[in-house]
Amino acid sequence: MMNEVTNSVVEALPQFQGYVYPNEANFHPVWSTLIVVYPYITGLVAGAFIMASLVRVFDVKALAPVYRLSMLTALAFLLCATLPLLCHLGHPERCYEIMMTPHMTSPMAIFGFVYAWYLMAVLLLELWFDYRQDFVKWSKTTAGFKGFLYRVLTLGVTDVSEKSVRLDMKMEWILSIVGIPSAFLLHGYVGFIFGSIKANPWWGNVLMPIMFILSAIVSGIALCVFNYIVLNWIRRRPLDMRCLDAMAMFLFYALVMDAVVEGLDVLHRGYAAEEGFAVLQTMIHEKLFYTLNIGQVGVGTLVPLLLLGLLQVLPRRVPEATRRVMIFCSGAMILLGVLMMRWNVVMGGQFFSKSFRGVMSYKMEFAGQEGWLISAVIMCLPFIILTVLVKLFLSERLQPCEHVLEKSSKA
Amino acid sequence: MNHTINRRSSLLRMGAAMAGLLTVSFARAAKAAVQTVFVSTTAPKGYDPTKHKWLMCIDASKCIGCGLCAEACKKENGVPEGPYYRTWIERYIIPKPKPGSDLTRGEAIVDSPNGGMHGFPEPTLPKDKIEHAFFVPKLCNLCENPPCIQVCPVGATFTAPDGAVLIDPNYCIGCAFCIQACPYGARFLNPATKTAEKCTLCYHRISRGLKPACVEVCPAEARIFGDLKNLAADDPLQKFYEKNRVQVLKPHLGTEPRVLYAGLDKEVR
Amino acid sequence: MHRFKLPPQILRLILVAMAIVGSYLVARSFLVPPSFGEYGWYRGDALKLIAARDPVFAGKQACDECHSDILHKLAKDAHKTLSCEGCHGVSREHCDNPDILPVKATGSHCIRCHEANLARPAWLKQIVVKDHYGPKCTECHLPHQPTQSP
Ligand code: HEC
Ligand code: HEC
Ligand code: HEC
Ligand code: HEC
Repeated sequence: MMNEVTNSVVEALPQFQGYVYPNEANFHPVWSTLIVVYPYITGLVAGAFIMASLVRVFDVKALAPVYRLSMLTALAFLLCATLPLLCHLGHPERCYEIMMTPHMTSPMAIFGFVYAWYLMAVLLLELWFDYRQDFVKWSKTTAGFKGFLYRVLTLGVTDVSEKSVRLDMKMEWILSIVGIPSAFLLHGYVGFIFGSIKANPWWGNVLMPIMFILSAIVSGIALCVFNYIVLNWIRRRPLDMRCLDAMAMFLFYALVMDAVVEGLDVLHRGYAAEEGFAVLQTMIHEKLFYTLNIGQVGVGTLVPLLLLGLLQVLPRRVPEATRRVMIFCSGAMILLGVLMMRWNVVMGGQFFSKSFRGVMSYKMEFAGQEGWLISAVIMCLPFIILTVLVKLFLSERLQPCEHVLEKSSKA
Repeated sequence: MNHTINRRSSLLRMGAAMAGLLTVSFARAAKAAVQTVFVSTTAPKGYDPTKHKWLMCIDASKCIGCGLCAEACKKENGVPEGPYYRTWIERYIIPKPKPGSDLTRGEAIVDSPNGGMHGFPEPTLPKDKIEHAFFVPKLCNLCENPPCIQVCPVGATFTAPDGAVLIDPNYCIGCAFCIQACPYGARFLNPATKTAEKCTLCYHRISRGLKPACVEVCPAEARIFGDLKNLAADDPLQKFYEKNRVQVLKPHLGTEPRVLYAGLDKEVR
Repeated sequence: MHRFKLPPQILRLILVAMAIVGSYLVARSFLVPPSFGEYGWYRGDALKLIAARDPVFAGKQACDECHSDILHKLAKDAHKTLSCEGCHGVSREHCDNPDILPVKATGSHCIRCHEANLARPAWLKQIVVKDHYGPKCTECHLPHQPTQSP
């Protein structure tokens, strides 16, 4: 009789091969699509911000046309960055505890503060200083709700004298400088959430934060490329090819760095072949074959590397229209590839048992708290917010004050 | 003129003081109301957690794999049905190496059907192919450096002064970070309460002077439970140390488990 | 030397920052549970909360009050390490009210421990139930004194 009971259980759970701890023999991993989306979104924030900082800190004038767009992109995505975390909690109503009694040794608790710091002290402040002068101007010229909004956003400071604008520029520059390490911190910390888990050889890795930062930069620039092209396509305006080429160049270099570090990681794992390496190997060959080998490495890295590399080698030979298509395609592919990378990290870490003796698989649900529908909605949300932000702050009808960019380039 | 101003300002001051008092008392009341939400107990009286240090050790060579402990644990703690176990039993079957191979032993076959709750079926391998086989009861390892507590973002899981690693069911936010961080798979997310759960050493029992349920029902004395701060001379725990060479699980992770095992084999992790 | 004056935008931001930090501190004083930090970075009350659960198993000691004869018998024979509730099931209600009898122990559970299994340690006396004398264990073995027969 006992034989029957146990055998039927083994049959009922065919998705487990080998031995997994009884608590792991669950139908869903405890972290699923929502946690895949979470590092993806934060990565896009950090990447878009770093890309914008190139203008302010390193004074890359070619990128000036996308400065505001990428800052607004960063903001739109940052506003949604905690949503997936929140949705996946068992008790979302207790989330305030993370801020009230943060446990200082926990990467997740510190993330709350890093997030708050980044949102309030870096991104919003820099945007405010950048826009302050325009808010003053627009609040005078615009009527109705929008005008009221601009007036509120000035925070009551209407001083746009030369001296005070110069101070704004200075502050912006300082904030950018503070912002780059903060962006690294923001996303490095997300990497650390995984990298700090020593129980899991797929995650517990010193390179993890670095890999997260580099892939974040790559995906952020790719997103800016994507948004820039799409926005100008919607507005039926010509692209600034100098800007696009510059973005493609930075994208290429970032991608090279990212590919090198990730390759290093693979090499190191293979060479050290520590405990549990066998189970990781079966994962790469079976469970993650499509998302890792084809998605992340092929589509997400090699093809864009080839395309963008070609543009670097023969910059002028390729006609403009083709160049545009190539850059657009590689941007889109990179965005997809980085999403795959997040999937491989997050889900890959849960596809094998911590006993290293078995693997589980996972069938994605459609609806429900852990279904992919909610993740898809969360992925769309930043784009909706971005649309609103662009309507408000990057409107074609409201021209920014002329001298802002000039001044900054002189300063 | 001066006079009126004086009077007015003193009136103002009094008004301000009244308002301040009102807000303070209102704030006090509000705070008390908020905080009663957190407080509720009918706990056993007279238990001082600072006067104990509980510990469970496992003598794996004694375990007969009857599964009473895993079953009792579920009953005692109301653990939901399904793949949720605060304690469970693993069976390790070490096959003989294939004839002609120069390995010392074959690849271990491990199983734990239903956490071993209803016993184990006969091994699928024939007897003459098996080098040896044994059972290992598993539970929370009561780490000295618990990675699960380290990662909890809100301080909902903690090592109590008496050595038990506990989870505050009213404070846990259910982020499952601790489940990921536990190298031993000892934690799970309770689908009913949506909070993390784990072995509490039957805290409600030990604080009343009873033994944990698994220790209570174990017929083979494979689980040795005791209080390090109140060790009797012939305490089973004391004898266990003295008699055995002990081992911990996954020592390379530096978690320093306090749960000591005797009679393990190299395959156990 | 004229007085140093903060630029208006900086002043405004400092005010906003102070408002944010202030409201955080106020919220914190409300929302941190009172016993937080009593023993460490957690709610001290949690210990009591977790301890408040009612035990399910009564424990061997509880049976001593009324069945001390059986305890003595048990302690003298091979089943001395066994717990009453291992065979009789949870008997807490029975302790409080002896009229509620524990589930009848029939002896079918004997094989749970004694059925031969390769992984079982050698010191445990195991039988292959098929080849043993018969399926009704209690006919030949007293459950509380297993080495003796009725
Ligand atoms: C308050 C005293 C008391 C305590 C404590 C007590 N019992 Fe009993 N028990 C009785 C009495 C009286 C009977 C006889 C009832 C009858 O035969 O109607 C009995 C009968 C039994 C029976 C026989 C039931 C049957 O079907 O004939 C079992 C088994 C039993 N007890 C087990 C236990 C166990 C195990 C415990 C400890 C957890 C325990 N009892 C604790 C008073 C007690
Ligand atoms: C090995 C399993 C086992 C254990 C351990 C055990 N019992 Fe029993 N007990 C039985 C079985 C089986 C019967 C039924 C005997 C029968 O039907 O003849 C029984 C019968 C009883 C009865 C009914 C009257 C009698 O004497 O036959 C009482 C009372 C009882 N047990 C009390 C206890 C108490 C108290 C303990 C703990 C000290 C205990 N038992 C431990 C298996 C066990
Ligand atoms: C919870 C596990 C468990 C259950 C249930 C159990 N036993 Fe035992 N039994 C043991 C242990 C442990 C020993 C002592 C070790 C040994 O001698 O094998 C033992 C010893 C024995 C012995 C003595 C062997 C010897 O010669 O020393 C007999 C006979 C026996 N049991 C019969 C039974 C019968 C009959 C039942 C059912 C009423 C039963 N057992 C139920 C665990 C159990
Ligand atoms: C017809 C009587 C009879 C029945 C029924 C019976 N046994 Fe026995 N059992 C014996 C005798 C006689 C011995 C001692 C001689 C021997 O070892 O073969 C024994 C020995 C044992 C031993 C000790 C074995 C050893 O290696 O010393 C265990 C354990 C045991 N029985 C368990 C059980 C269990 C469990 C059942 C119920 C499935 C059961 N017996 C049913 C008569 C019986």
